[in-house]
Amino acid sequence: MNDVADEALVRRVGQAGDERALSELYDRYARLVYGAGVRYLGDRALAEDLVQDVFTSVWRGAAGFDPSKASFATWLYRITRNRATDLIRRRRARVRTVGEERSPEIGEEDPTGELSQSFDVASALSRLSPTHREVLILAYFQGLSQSEISRRTNTPLGTVKSRTTAALRALREYMLEDEDG
Amino acid sequence: MGERPVSEHQEIRNLIGPYVMGALSPEERREMEEHLEGCAPCREEAQDLSFVHERLIDLANNAEAPPPELESRVMAGLPGRRARRVPLVAAAAVVAALAVLGALLYSTGLFGQDEVASATLEATDLAPGAGGELQLSQADPNARAELEVWGLPRPGKDEYYELWFGKEDGRMSAGTFTVDARGRVTLDLSVPEDASSYKQVGITIEKFPEEPRMSAAKPVLVGQLEES
Repeated sequence: MNDVADEALVRRVGQAGDERALSELYDRYARLVYGAGVRYLGDRALAEDLVQDVFTSVWRGAAGFDPSKASFATWLYRITRNRATDLIRRRRARVRTVGEERSPEIGEEDPTGELSQSFDVASALSRLSPTHREVLILAYFQGLSQSEISRRTNTPLGTVKSRTTAALRALREYMLEDEDG
Repeated sequence: MGERPVSEHQEIRNLIGPYVMGALSPEERREMEEHLEGCAPCREEAQDLSFVHERLIDLANNAEAPPPELESRVMAGLPGRRARRVPLVAAAAVVAALAVLGALLYSTGLFGQDEVASATLEATDLAPGAGGELQLSQADPNARAELEVWGLPRPGKDEYYELWFGKEDGRMSAGTFTVDARGRVTLDLSVPEDASSYKQVGITIEKFPEEPRMSAAKPVLVGQLEES
């Protein structure tokens, strides 16, 4: 299922209540949603609530998702932003009640658009071939050197290097397609 | 700088990825930089891939692995996940057939033979004229809830109905559904086996993407679950 496009997965969720499709989307995006929660809510427990809220919203709203209006990543980013805002409001209400600590302002979320851009990059990454995706995930998310990737994947070092270049090229193409999209 | 053979150019070009990542050996890096000085297409590609590299760094900085057990919690908490949903297009077609089948089974005493509890659902002022019946029966491994409702308003855009079981110390969602043009639907749901320990049944109308909340929402149908 890891070769299936995001939009096809969300269609399966919407039309058939396919939990495996939702699980695949979770694998692709939960790190980003959780990371956004930790960063913008400043609390790991709230970040877990955010992940739960966001993927429950995807489950509920999948049938109404319209890929002609936005990519799945854009839709998911909006859900994440709205849910994070809800959680900040809830926390702010609680903080007002007990009169402690200042909660972040809603406007402080993603002022540079970097988070939004990361959702788009995650979307492009999910469209790469498994070998291209693997080499970039090992390098960027697991911090492996080219030699370590070579050993881990049992691939000649020269191949790892040229594959890394090809993977970055392919990723760029998908990012450009999404921009034009 | 003189022209390099095509094969050498291609060989160096294949290293642009590790170059922008800072992953080349000092010797390879020196060779790359010499090549870039005299090769405009490779300089352009290095610039393009450098941009992609920066975006990947941002992505890696923004992402963080959630606790491993969170996924199973998310999946277990999905509303209506164990419900056998009736597709909208099929719902209208099967309602009449189910009504006939239901009447037949009821008359022959087969319907509800394992029934453990039931509730008659009464309309609130949000859905005058609506009504419903819910029967709970034993099933393996969960309990089975058969729900029939009628006369409910057609949900608006992004709206859906949610079935709840409630008791003093909590509530649980048992599934989501919509209705046909006549406000009817018949559902066969798998629910937790302790569902009969709940005393109240309610149906609320919810709107995506707001959070469903039985406590705050006004139900359209309510009923008391009584042991059979």
